[in-house]
Amino acid sequence: MISRRPSIFIYASRPDPDFLREICAGIEEEGVFFEIFRREETDVNVLAHQAAEDSMLGSGIGISGVDVVLQIRGMRVGRNVEARHMPTFEQCRAMGADSARVIKKLGLKAAD
Amino acid sequence: MILAGVDIGNSTTEVCIGECVGREPVRFLSSASVMTTGTKGTPANIHGIKAALTRAMASLGRDVSEISLIRLNEAAPVIGDTAMETLTETIITDSSMIGHNPSTPAGAGQAAGTLLSYEHLDRAAESVPYIVFASASSGYEEISERLNGLSDRIQVVGMILQADEAVLVENRIHRKIPIVDEVARIDKVPEGRQAAIEVALPGQSVRMLSNPYGIATLLHLDPQETRAVTPIARSLIGSRSAVVIKTPNGDVRENVLPAGEIYLDAEHPATISLDEGAENIMAAVEGAGEIRDITGQPGTNVGNMFSRIKKGMADVSRGDSPAVRITDVLAVDTLAPVLISGALAGETCLEKAVGIAAMVRTQQLPMREIAAKLEEELHTKVTVAGVEAVMASLGALTTPGTQLPLAILDMGGGSTDAAVIHKDGHVVITHQAGAGELVSMLIQTELGLPERSMAEQIKRYPLARVESLFHMRLEDGEMHFVEESIDPRFYGRVVLLTPDGLVRVEKDIPLEKIRQVRRDAKKKVFLTNAERALRKVAPEHNLKKISNVVLVGGSALDFEIPEMLTEDFVSWRIVCGRGNIRGTEGPRNAVATGLVLSYAGERK
Repeated sequence: MISRRPSIFIYASRPDPDFLREICAGIEEEGVFFEIFRREETDVNVLAHQAAEDSMLGSGIGISGVDVVLQIRGMRVGRNVEARHMPTFEQCRAMGADSARVIKKLGLKAAD
Repeated sequence: MILAGVDIGNSTTEVCIGECVGREPVRFLSSASVMTTGTKGTPANIHGIKAALTRAMASLGRDVSEISLIRLNEAAPVIGDTAMETLTETIITDSSMIGHNPSTPAGAGQAAGTLLSYEHLDRAAESVPYIVFASASSGYEEISERLNGLSDRIQVVGMILQADEAVLVENRIHRKIPIVDEVARIDKVPEGRQAAIEVALPGQSVRMLSNPYGIATLLHLDPQETRAVTPIARSLIGSRSAVVIKTPNGDVRENVLPAGEIYLDAEHPATISLDEGAENIMAAVEGAGEIRDITGQPGTNVGNMFSRIKKGMADVSRGDSPAVRITDVLAVDTLAPVLISGALAGETCLEKAVGIAAMVRTQQLPMREIAAKLEEELHTKVTVAGVEAVMASLGALTTPGTQLPLAILDMGGGSTDAAVIHKDGHVVITHQAGAGELVSMLIQTELGLPERSMAEQIKRYPLARVESLFHMRLEDGEMHFVEESIDPRFYGRVVLLTPDGLVRVEKDIPLEKIRQVRRDAKKKVFLTNAERALRKVAPEHNLKKISNVVLVGGSALDFEIPEMLTEDFVSWRIVCGRGNIRGTEGPRNAVATGLVLSYAGERK
């Protein structure tokens, strides 16, 4: 019996609040659920990797300060789908959208 | 002695190196193929010839200077060219519709109302239904808060957004309304006009706005106006969301362009209008017998099309225009997605078009000039020997399992040539317009690709869709797993499986559609042409009198064309397949091989 709804996990360590808001908006626009968890770990690569491993959908985002990483389950730590340092709001929105598009099997916005 | 056969084709230059010792049969040493430099039959070809010779000799560890005789083909003085012309044109002025497929519109249903800019919300009257449009400068939080605040006072029935925020707004407003987003030219939306908006349910496409009567219902149109919006309804078919704006006095026109007539100067002269479609044009060409020249009605699309082809050919062959004659055409019906003038979100409309490949006969190509120049540069004897099709037949005969009488079908880039070589050695030849280049043009047009090179690649390589970073689904439905994860740039995209790795198809077109267009284009061109060409050279023009067909030339290398032809020829009980020159070369190198072989024959 599955009691949680399937969602994208966001593991955050002292995240920039604006970045986090834009990432969430990106996921919401694509119509996928997400959950935010605060973590002690500060390595953004590890955060993203763990988020992806733990998410039922296999898609996770790590955000540590102003570093944002998008990961999917099955990839090695550091072999990220997308990674950005100090992204623009638009890029944050696109990364959020991409974490959802990965699940929907649609082309990624970052690729355009 | 070592001798080389050189075949200069429309797109590739091929060489075959052979050795002749005494009375023994020729021994083949190596071969090579490079891109033809310049237009076939011009001195610019020399560069490519030298490159091909160097490559072939280098693979033997020898030098070009060791070649004691080079034999060039007497290239047929025919060059293929293609052109495309649209026959209909839809003009929608004064921005009267938006119909596109944003990936995430929101809400569902349809509504009609007056267009109102988000900036002018305070001017809204009570109890008037409005469709509000907002530019990207207003964010989703601001918009939804404002609308919620005004929801008891004014009636908003739908929204048009410039930013990709339809779902975000929808999730925050209390009343559920259809919202269309990602409308690029929001500044062109005419405020104050009546408009109808529709967002389809998930998995469906719009129903009301793709139906002329649906638009009439929502916008209260009279029968005249309903007729005028029909092209709009048609171009909205298949969209997930749409907006139709009512504009005064019919701003939508569907023009039928004056396509013009084609004049066949032939044994049985004929005139046929381009409007009649490819099938009738081809029937007229078939019935005309020997064609001396083909022209188009001056001042029309087709007239311009033919004069453009002739002018281009006259330029490259340095001949006068009158000496350039079009002796065959292949016409193909097609549909071209053309950007609608006045579109707000990059909408296109499928227009009827016709693609034409023309066979241009020029004066004799200056092959001797090339031979003399080559001789001077390489200090080797160079001769022009043998007619191309005869050489190709000779080369094709080296395919294991063939016998005389033998028909060859040489499918190149510019033309499809056929020849039948009879037991007594006598050869019947024909050159037909239309081959690989026409296929590329059809693919480019029908998929609306910006570049020809993309169409070339789509023609050549099979498709796949990357479904995860570790697997893709090939176009035949098979799954393919990869060891190392695929670059995320390819994720969720349609890709081409080329020998150099994956290539992304830039436009967002479903795999099935691309495959359909590619296969149809190949069938339209090659099946039609193969039958046409073989019928011309067959004894008594009866296909049943041909028993063996060997496919040679560049297009025979294609991964599906030979199979299509093999299947098609089953009904005439013809053994048809891709050639395998000398049992090693595949369908390439037939002419070059023939040139080397014929030297041995001449010595006897």
